[in-house]
Amino acid sequence: MSAPAAFLLRFALPVGIGAALLYAATLSLDPYSLTILQFVGINVILAVSLNITNGFTGLFSLGHPAFMTIGGYVTAILTMPATRKTAMLRDLPSILAAHEWPFAASLTAGGLVAALAAVIVGIPVLRLRGHYLAVATLGLIFIVQSFAVNLPGITRGALGLAGLPPVTNVWWVYLVLVLTLLTCWRVKHSSLGRTMLAIRENELAAASLGVKVARTRVLSFALGAFFAGVAGGLWAHLVTLIAPGSFSILLGFQLIVMVVLGGTGSIAGAAIAAVVLTLSTEWLRPIEEAAGLFGASQIIVAVGVILVLIFRPSGLFGTAEPNVFGAFARRRRHAQSTP
Amino acid sequence: MTGAYLLSQIVNGLVLGAMYALIAIGFSMIYGIVRLINFAHGDIFAVGAFAALGSIAIAALPFPLAVLVVLLAGALVGLLVERAAFRPMRGAPQVTGFIASLAVAIILENLAVMTITAQPRTFAIPAWLGALVPLGSISVRVVDIAIIVLALVLTAALVGFVRFTRTGMAMRATAENYGVARLMGINIDRMIALAFAIGSALAAVAGLMWGAKYGQISPLMGTVPGLKAFVAAVIGGVGSISGAVLGGFVLGLAEVLFVGLLPSEFSAFRNAFVFAALILVLLVMPNGLIGKSTETRA
Amino acid sequence: MRNWISGLAAVAAAGLLSTAFILPGAAQDKEPINVAALYNLTSGGLSSLDAPSFNGMKLKAKMINDAGGILGGRKIEITAIDTKNDTRETATAAQRAVAIKGLVAGIGQSDSTFALAAAPLFQSAGIPFVTSGATSPDLPDMVGDQMFLVPFGDDVQAHAMAEYAYNTLGLRNVAIWTDNAMDYTTGLTRYFTERFTQLGGKVALEDVYMTTDQDFSALVSRLQSTTGVDAVFASSGPDTAGIIVKQIREAGITLPILAGDGFDTDLVLSVPGEALAKDVYFTTHAYAGIETGPAQEFRAAYQAEYNTAPENAFAALGYDAMGLVADAITRAGSTEPAAVSKALAETKAYEGVTGTVAFPEGKRVPNKPVAIIKVGGGKMNFETTVTPKG
Repeated sequence: MSAPAAFLLRFALPVGIGAALLYAATLSLDPYSLTILQFVGINVILAVSLNITNGFTGLFSLGHPAFMTIGGYVTAILTMPATRKTAMLRDLPSILAAHEWPFAASLTAGGLVAALAAVIVGIPVLRLRGHYLAVATLGLIFIVQSFAVNLPGITRGALGLAGLPPVTNVWWVYLVLVLTLLTCWRVKHSSLGRTMLAIRENELAAASLGVKVARTRVLSFALGAFFAGVAGGLWAHLVTLIAPGSFSILLGFQLIVMVVLGGTGSIAGAAIAAVVLTLSTEWLRPIEEAAGLFGASQIIVAVGVILVLIFRPSGLFGTAEPNVFGAFARRRRHAQSTP
Repeated sequence: MTGAYLLSQIVNGLVLGAMYALIAIGFSMIYGIVRLINFAHGDIFAVGAFAALGSIAIAALPFPLAVLVVLLAGALVGLLVERAAFRPMRGAPQVTGFIASLAVAIILENLAVMTITAQPRTFAIPAWLGALVPLGSISVRVVDIAIIVLALVLTAALVGFVRFTRTGMAMRATAENYGVARLMGINIDRMIALAFAIGSALAAVAGLMWGAKYGQISPLMGTVPGLKAFVAAVIGGVGSISGAVLGGFVLGLAEVLFVGLLPSEFSAFRNAFVFAALILVLLVMPNGLIGKSTETRA
Repeated sequence: MRNWISGLAAVAAAGLLSTAFILPGAAQDKEPINVAALYNLTSGGLSSLDAPSFNGMKLKAKMINDAGGILGGRKIEITAIDTKNDTRETATAAQRAVAIKGLVAGIGQSDSTFALAAAPLFQSAGIPFVTSGATSPDLPDMVGDQMFLVPFGDDVQAHAMAEYAYNTLGLRNVAIWTDNAMDYTTGLTRYFTERFTQLGGKVALEDVYMTTDQDFSALVSRLQSTTGVDAVFASSGPDTAGIIVKQIREAGITLPILAGDGFDTDLVLSVPGEALAKDVYFTTHAYAGIETGPAQEFRAAYQAEYNTAPENAFAALGYDAMGLVADAITRAGSTEPAAVSKALAETKAYEGVTGTVAFPEGKRVPNKPVAIIKVGGGKMNFETTVTPKG
């Protein structure tokens, strides 16, 4: 699959079908279901991008909510009408305050700033391994939240930025989703992706073969952060609000669960787990409300997670990609799953 | 800034540190033996607080008996959690246990919220615990002294147990190397369960002390102290009991002095400071203050 | 302490109740009136405000239904959605709510950030959203003409406290502690400072903390070492209210403590204990200290229903929010959201538990009296009522 043409063809058909389905959805679904559809898409973006960091490279990061917060705030500040900005955000540099950016540019900027933050944080933090990295990235969530709360001149403090233009729609979400999948797929099946997997499997061996371990780690961390930042921007303009507590540790946990359930390193696995978990929480909700047992749905999901971990510890797909995509494209390729 | 001010802040830090230390010991023991960051540890701390409330306020047990109940309750929940969530997935990648512990934390928190609501509750203590004792230029409460003393006594007892008893040695052997310990005839299941029981019991006592000091508890009270105790364990050197205690005191002191010595607008950054300190310590001293460097942290 | 049992009982009762609400009642032939409740019932700090509010709201609906309903016997049916302390959940909950067929109004939330996550969706659906506890006076301006507040705005209570502190208590220099993690508390501090300095008072020390903080020892020591302070204004939510009083008093500091309605919780009395809970003044919704009329009726009903006294003022506010909406429906004589919204805006004198609600022309924040409570002798003692100039 080196030829870009063949690669695009593999994606063109599913994307076309997907677009048609989405169009049908926009015509037939009520606003609530459409919103859920968008959150499903955003969660897939998040899970799949977290999979670059956690799945491919084996860095156990919980920091996605931190990057979403950064990306969300940057995007929100950029798209906000200039008149409101100057009134509400006193400490904003005048270059930012005077202009109002288009959504695509704002999203990209949000992603880039998140990625930049990931590089700055990543260079020292990625020297840590396993659990240590997990807790350090968890700490990052607290640190970012503290700044969001305590810099009211830029973030409006605890209140958050409300009344953002509701520009996120199904098309934006799924466009970014396709781009994310495409990027992940290409990365995974490129030399970079193999480098990442090599680091995950045996860092010393990879280093001895000349792999630049530190650089690759930071790169994969930043790549994941970029998409988290973009997803944060999409999220903020879907909810039309971003507050310091918008993206919590709980969300970080849910994302990790998606990656692990899907099979660490499997793009399709992460995507499917994201869809299933997002929808099942929605479906459990009416039951919980009818019974008046608020909190029951979270318990059910958590118990389910433990059961899957016990009975299927390598997740649904391991590192492999199931053949659904191949079948979908009617072009079954054989050696697509990585060793 | 006067000397008395500094002194009082140091005492504040030590008391906070003593509680971090007790929670951190459990983290450290469990990590040392199964390489698991037990995220549910903070919730066991909350369980301890509620067990204390139940035995003091509802069952009206005398204070020493209440401490015993709290220890048992903590140990029991710890064992239950180990049995239900961690034993079945032993041998799986580290990350698996970590996620399982997050899931257990969510289950415990939601169960608590569903049954006893998230409302904070008053935790009343005997009046003598609240009395002020003059100590040089400052005055300290009895409960503060009790917390520090209790933390030190429990630590000493635990260190003695691990160092000098056969069971303690078996635990250390298990922590050192599973396989070899098993070959030597050590029942590693029992050792792991014991680590969970002791660690959880100490966290539960910390919950009791937290309630006694601040007078208010809630089912979600464990999250932040739990995470900070983990930071303390890392600062001290994960896997080492005395390291966890040292880390607890260092962190408590650092946190209070951060708030106390810097201008007040920095006060709200105290959690950010704690985690920034964690990252810093890990970079400068990856094995913590007195941790061993036997393993690559992979 | 029978709270565990009563907690379980409440959960069970809530379960039965909401099943009763959602399943079509057997004897109920008339079309129900749909109202949505959006509250943070689980996960996190706000549930200690939101859960009592929701209970108050359910209680009022039950009382109305038991008394034969409104609009000629139609029953109120509440659809409750847990917003899980999460703005995303809140926004989707709002979307689900407005999609409910025949929804008349939404009620809920005790924090401005969350109200702002829900209300705009009601606004664009043209359905009124009545917040029972969010007190930022700017909310209606930020959201639009479907946004209504049941409580007074924070400006009103903070100004009332500033005036009371300066004029009545004769305080001149205050230290201010602010919970930076809540919009409510930062707003309260801003309005208090504004009026207090305008009157000629000074702020001698400003300190900040976060809602999850429980150890205030460092702040207490700083307060102790600051000279020339006459009082502390503690801008705090209910979760930290009792702890703050306890820790300040235990250090031997006897300065008066001033606060807003976040202090209207039993924790202020019980956490420090009777001996230490004194010289605390706070503003609240005018039901505290009133032993007669709707306030007393509400307290008794709440006790009977949930086997506990109202946890804080938010229970009364939830009760009033439901009552206010029912009153507007009755006055509108219709369940058309537009008509109800118009009737809400025209509310001139709704007798609530927390005072008489009246919306001034073009404003959707009520002019309500502010009660000032002094804590002492193991009791909340009603001091005076301040009615802001409208």
